[in-house]
Amino acid sequence: MQAGVLKPVLAVYTALFIAFLYGPFIVLGILSFQSGPEGGPQFPIIEWSTYWYRHLFGLVPPSRVAPLPIGDSLIRSLALAFMTMVVSTVLGVASAQAFRQKFRGSGPVFYLIVLGMMVPGVLVGLGTALLANLVGVDRSWWGTAFVLHVVYTYPFAFLVMLAIFNRFDRSIEEASWSLGVSPVTTFRKVTFPVIFPGVLSAMLFAFTLSYDEFARTLFTSGPRLTLPLAIYGTFAVEIHPNVFAFGVLTTLFSFALLAVYAILMMRSVRQSRQVSAEAA
Amino acid sequence: MTVVLTLNDVSKTYGGKPAVSGIDLAIAGDSYVSVLGASGSGKTTLLRLIAGFEEPETGSIVFEGERIDGTPAHERGIGFVFQNFALFPHLDVAGNIAFGLVNRRRDPVRDKAELDRRVAEVIRLVGLTGLERRGVSQISGGQRQRVALARTLVTRPRLVLLDEPLGALDAHLRARMRDELRQIRRSLGVTFLHVTGSETEALTMGDRLIVLDDGRIGQFAAPATVYAAPASPAVARYLNAYNLIRGSRSGASFVSALGPLPLAASGDARSASSNPPPSAPSGTSSNLGPAAADGVYAIRHDRIEVRAPESVPGADEIMVPARFVASEYGGASMLSFFALDTGQIVEVEEHLSRGMPLSLVPNSRYGLAWKRDAAIVYA
Amino acid sequence: MSRTIEASEEPAMRQVPEAGSISSAAAQRRKARRMSWLLLSPGVLWMTLFLVLPMLMVLYVSFWTQTTFTVEPKLTTASWVRFLTSPTYLDALWTTVRIWLLVLASTLVVGYPVALFIGLLVRNKTLQTVLLVLCVIPFWTSFLIRVLAWRPMLGTQGAINMILMKLGIISHPLEMLLFSELSVLIGMTQIYCVFMVGPITFMLSRIDPNVIEAARDLGAGFWRIFRTIILPLSMPGVVVGAIFVSVMVLGEFATAAALSGRKTNMLGNIIVSQVGSLKWAFAAVAGVILTLLMGVVIAGLLKVVNLRKEL
Repeated sequence: MQAGVLKPVLAVYTALFIAFLYGPFIVLGILSFQSGPEGGPQFPIIEWSTYWYRHLFGLVPPSRVAPLPIGDSLIRSLALAFMTMVVSTVLGVASAQAFRQKFRGSGPVFYLIVLGMMVPGVLVGLGTALLANLVGVDRSWWGTAFVLHVVYTYPFAFLVMLAIFNRFDRSIEEASWSLGVSPVTTFRKVTFPVIFPGVLSAMLFAFTLSYDEFARTLFTSGPRLTLPLAIYGTFAVEIHPNVFAFGVLTTLFSFALLAVYAILMMRSVRQSRQVSAEAA
Repeated sequence: MTVVLTLNDVSKTYGGKPAVSGIDLAIAGDSYVSVLGASGSGKTTLLRLIAGFEEPETGSIVFEGERIDGTPAHERGIGFVFQNFALFPHLDVAGNIAFGLVNRRRDPVRDKAELDRRVAEVIRLVGLTGLERRGVSQISGGQRQRVALARTLVTRPRLVLLDEPLGALDAHLRARMRDELRQIRRSLGVTFLHVTGSETEALTMGDRLIVLDDGRIGQFAAPATVYAAPASPAVARYLNAYNLIRGSRSGASFVSALGPLPLAASGDARSASSNPPPSAPSGTSSNLGPAAADGVYAIRHDRIEVRAPESVPGADEIMVPARFVASEYGGASMLSFFALDTGQIVEVEEHLSRGMPLSLVPNSRYGLAWKRDAAIVYA
Repeated sequence: MSRTIEASEEPAMRQVPEAGSISSAAAQRRKARRMSWLLLSPGVLWMTLFLVLPMLMVLYVSFWTQTTFTVEPKLTTASWVRFLTSPTYLDALWTTVRIWLLVLASTLVVGYPVALFIGLLVRNKTLQTVLLVLCVIPFWTSFLIRVLAWRPMLGTQGAINMILMKLGIISHPLEMLLFSELSVLIGMTQIYCVFMVGPITFMLSRIDPNVIEAARDLGAGFWRIFRTIILPLSMPGVVVGAIFVSVMVLGEFATAAALSGRKTNMLGNIIVSQVGSLKWAFAAVAGVILTLLMGVVIAGLLKVVNLRKEL
């Protein structure tokens, strides 16, 4: 087969692949507009309606379909994701900063950190639950689940920052020192502004991973559920299009988050070109 | 003359390999000192040790009467200009220049008017007026160089270290900046320690010239002295102005593969043997021609005259036969390459102001003549 | 000249070092090392307390005595014996290995041509980025929603059956599409394929097009170029992708739970169901076995490629 034939064939294949990635989601989106409460999670669409969206917000009269327990769990998930984002980004930046120098034991430490993203969530979740039982700590989403979320997201933040520091020109730090500026001020005024786009990426990673995490949360969050756990709960029972409607909304939320990230990113790029002396 | 910087027996190794070893140095205040050395000669390490980015393994560094080795870089008060400029990418020109004054630990300038005045002053000094609000990625290489310099000078250091500051600039800009650097330094009365790999830059810039050879000081003297009387074959080689011929001294002549080269009468001989080179000759013995012995006979490019092969040398002259290879026209002078019978290439520089040189035919034979007392013998 | 005199006193000072004093270089190194460990200690402490300790706890509890509703710290191998002699648990182990291998193969087969197209054949950087972003966008939706989305797709009244019947290819809906191992495989392939496509695309995009051009000028056909140049150069990407997919698939339980109708049980599902019925010791045994399996797989893959270098 010639490369001339290969290219269009592979182009068509790639298009099919993208359809494969998006297909289920498009179907889910369509079915979220199924009529309710009698319409099921399948074709055909009996009648187009926003019933299941209203159902999510409790705007329809009670029916045999119980409302999704999303209200509190959404707030918990957002708070958890925020806490995780802050802590894992701080840890990630600090560790990556340490890795800029060669030091003995860097290999084991690297693998210890990366282990956090490799170990199956269900396993560390189990271990943490057992440990919490042993030492008599109550399991909670802001305690046991939170520390595990950081165990999971900190390696991502660390790797992102490691890649950023790899491309970082350290002579600008030395230049700052030679001007009489202390290392701490140098980090605040030179290093941090320059690596800020990387920090933003690490934060985005940490937030989305934590927001979506459930394997680690399953055994460790205690009685109060996070959002993914609320969705996971619906796996066992018959599903209704309200889950689909919720899927559409949570996807829109993720895209909004992505848009905020993109805007912050562009702002910081623009700022790096236009900063006045006052900012120094 | 006051000494502003003293180094005593300063050494530093990288991974067991010495970068600089046993450096002793005293630099006068209000002077321009250039440091010449090949890459890997330890010149950048020397600057980084003085700046405090690295610390020496032995020895001490004294700046303005205080021992500074072991002191963090930001407490030394020594400026540093980087080869890649190392400007702060997130700040504009004025922001870069004001950065040190605003953020330094000792004596920060908090008064806005005072800050603006000092920034404006240095911007005028380096000729950046009108570019204050430009981002540092939006200006040319020469302008970045000025920002790097201004950023350092505005903090009024007593000593500024410049690490190949002109290396990233193109040729004509380099020539202009050479001039400006000297003028700016003189007007401020600071000491510049300027590291370079270019012998022209080193010779033209410095009031004094340090030649670094393999991590040691090969020579420290006025540029004219270094140029006229390099302390060792290695120093002569860095100057890129000497032909070096290996051999050994035997009585009144220097015996090389070319045959004996008679030396001038002992009274006039500019022999360097009484002043043994401080550097170990090992490791510097590459391209010195066929190895015959430890001695080296040095004759400067512009001390050689090209003659017809049959002409007779004067009594105080030496003439050796050579085959013309090629020449390079250099404007004011002409650099010609000749192959000796030993195969070694000899360079001859003829100044065109002294009249047109012989028109040379490639692969023809000529005589290369020089005064016996023009040679320097290391043996 | 006064300065000179001061300076000349320096060597004397240097030659009598204080007892136990060290050179400035050694002091600087020591300070840098201290700084490194200071910066690292919170992270190392966190990982030790909340990652290493829980894993050791799992190992420890796997030897506890399991009673009906509780575990006691009396050491016994009973849970291990029960696990290793129970056809249900051994079947789960086999299912885990089988699904892992099948998903690994299917993500590679499905993903490689896509990577080949994006990484090698598309030379326009913008188009390359757009295509990659298209592949990544689904990851900004919830993992569980992505799994659930396959239900209306594959069910007997789902989209695929509907389309196939409309086209007249089948007359009765295919039952095997949902709540079977096949649906688990389809779901996992879709979810994890991108982790294979990404690293391979990255490696392929680093191939210098001139190398391929030169090979073509020398008369090499596409398959020859593929075998001798493209495939070897993309191998690190394949291995990194395989590590990603393996790590995620081996620890899976949600996809199997949602798309197999609890018929396909992986080790992860065993852990979840055992915890659900308070059989902590059995769950721990399954956990240790899962860890061992994962360790062997990752160690094997890391032997082929240095992960730290590739990242």
